Amino acid sequence: MADKDESLQTCTLPLSRVKTIMKSSPDVSCISQEALFLAGKATELFIQSLAQVSLEKSTDKKSLQYRDLAEVVNSIDTLQFLQDIVPKKITAREFFEMLKQNEDEDEET
Amino acid sequence: MAERPEDLNLPTAVITRIIKDAIPDGVNVSKEARLAISKAASVFVLYATSCSNNFAMKGKRKTIAAQDVITAMEDMEFDQFVEPLKNCLEAYRKGQQGKKDQKKKSKEQSDSSKDHPEEGGGDAGSDVEVDDNENEAEVEEEEDEDNGEQAVSVADSDVMIISDASSD
Repeated sequence: MADKDESLQTCTLPLSRVKTIMKSSPDVSCISQEALFLAGKATELFIQSLAQVSLEKSTDKKSLQYRDLAEVVNSIDTLQFLQDIVPKKITAREFFEMLKQNEDEDEET
Repeated sequence: MAERPEDLNLPTAVITRIIKDAIPDGVNVSKEARLAISKAASVFVLYATSCSNNFAMKGKRKTIAAQDVITAMEDMEFDQFVEPLKNCLEAYRKGQQGKKDQKKKSKEQSDSSKDHPEEGGGDAGSDVEVDDNENEAEVEEEEDEDNGEQAVSVADSDVMIISDASSD
């Protein structure tokens, strides 16, 4: 019980770093100590769930690859804010095909 | 605040540990995946901050409060985090209260508190930690002064001996 309490009230992530990131947001003026702690905890939960969900969706249960993450970020609505951070990788050939397709469409219109 | 761009990343070692604890043993996490999760976590902090700040501003407050963060999680549709976060907040408040009581006690006992530094238990509140360190520093300084005085008195006695010898 004591151990559980301990893990609940301590944050593994360095709160000073979390604070630096939060303060880099332009409109933020003050952050209460409790809010900072909760933000750190929430990030911890977020990392855990992102890793777990990605592994669940992964075809290979023995390893977690970038493409698994990209797939999850692309398919889950709540993770849409990460789409620019974890984009799906495409080959150069696919890219050029996309580019060509776009150009064709432009010409048609 | 952030002088270098790296200051906006979370430490990789900690991220790796959290990932390892979250998934079964023996699962290999590629370096690229780890980096992506780390970046995602940083962006998550910013996203949560901006949402929480919106709620604080709506309430005409300048300081982001704990409740703002919890409401922001609902707004971001991370409802599954709300319950655990509430539990954490409760435990955190209890811990802080415990520390305050401890501090009061240790102030009353003054010197005897330094004999039991482990009594405090948790190590969540940075404020309290800093105070503890200051106390320790003070104690060390006092000890140093004591040593200094002793050294001086030894030196005095040395001088005495020398002067005795020279008089003979």
